[in-house]
Amino acid sequence: MSSLTRPLLLTLGVLGLLLSFTAPAWGREPRESHAARTPRGKRAALKPEPAVRVITAEELGPLLRPKDARPLLVNYWATWCDPCREEFPDLVKIDQDFRTKGLDTIAISLDDLAELKTEVPKFLRLMKVRMPVYLLHAADPEPSIKMVDPTWGGALPATFLYDARGEIVYKKFGRFDTAELRAAIEKVMSKK
Amino acid sequence: MRKQSVISLLLAAIFAIVAVANVTNHNARATTPDVPAALAIGSTVPEFSLPDADGKTQSLSSLKGKNGTVFIFVAVQCPVSNAYNERMEKLAQDYKARGINVVGINSNVAEPAEAVKAHATTNKLTFPILKDPGNKIADQLGATVTPEAYVLDASNKLIYRGRIDNSRKGDSITATELRDALEASLVGKPVSKEIAAAFGCSIKRA
Repeated sequence: MSSLTRPLLLTLGVLGLLLSFTAPAWGREPRESHAARTPRGKRAALKPEPAVRVITAEELGPLLRPKDARPLLVNYWATWCDPCREEFPDLVKIDQDFRTKGLDTIAISLDDLAELKTEVPKFLRLMKVRMPVYLLHAADPEPSIKMVDPTWGGALPATFLYDARGEIVYKKFGRFDTAELRAAIEKVMSKK
Repeated sequence: MRKQSVISLLLAAIFAIVAVANVTNHNARATTPDVPAALAIGSTVPEFSLPDADGKTQSLSSLKGKNGTVFIFVAVQCPVSNAYNERMEKLAQDYKARGINVVGINSNVAEPAEAVKAHATTNKLTFPILKDPGNKIADQLGATVTPEAYVLDASNKLIYRGRIDNSRKGDSITATELRDALEASLVGKPVSKEIAAAFGCSIKRA
């Protein structure tokens, strides 16, 4: 090995190492490799299709409190909401990538109760959803909206990330930016 | 020796590039939502002009009612907004005679004036609907949802912001905040509930 090759190799090595740390944060698209690394056993243990649980406004509050000090990602959506449908595959991917790392993700549908057996399961099957899904059944959605976050106007979709203590550390009204949301998750997970 | 300094320089440069890239990347990750602040109740909405669905320029002074004005942010494609079409039209009819004008505003970037016009014709919406290119008015009012109403009194002061009523489908209406605000305003009483969260679709901004 010549005197020049060794430092060059060293440089390339350092560069490679640095890139491996930073590249995931640069990527705008979800990382495919993460899902592949998810342990098979854990995923198999989950139900193939989540049963959608109907909840009342009173039952919503307790759902928004993190369990076992795990950060919690909550997405409010409806089958009639186009941006919700657009972002949903990214949400499913995030759930796959982070659930085994300690993040809980839940999806709360604001569809009508009439859609419980029709549009909602149809969409969830299409999305191959494995996270817990709830349907908020409230004659008046306003108290729930206000309870979740006083700054939420009620537009769908809406996404909230809670840290392990239950504080909202990230929120997005309208379609979320996947890279931005993933960065927020990485940050909250690193604080655990 | 010289070669080594070149290598060191190269390394330093790489570190610098990576560091800068990280900082830039970090700054791009805002954690606050990009929603403009809502206009406070009691604020006066200044004069503005926007094109209507026919492309004709309209202004607040030309559209306002003698006793007040209701802006409703509407959409062509939002099912919630569409569920309110009949109720919005009825509201416009009911209050026109009483000096309050209803004005629709479409701020969705993906819904051009032609689509707004066709939609109004199909759904028999007779009140004027403004097109808000660049979401000028939506930003000024801090509007994020369709459908959502903003009530201005006779002097263009904002006295109510929020939903039309509590029932998307209209089959279980138990709260009618918008009409309550209009009734209070017409008899010179303060509005009892000035803000009521409006449930619906996000306004797709430009």
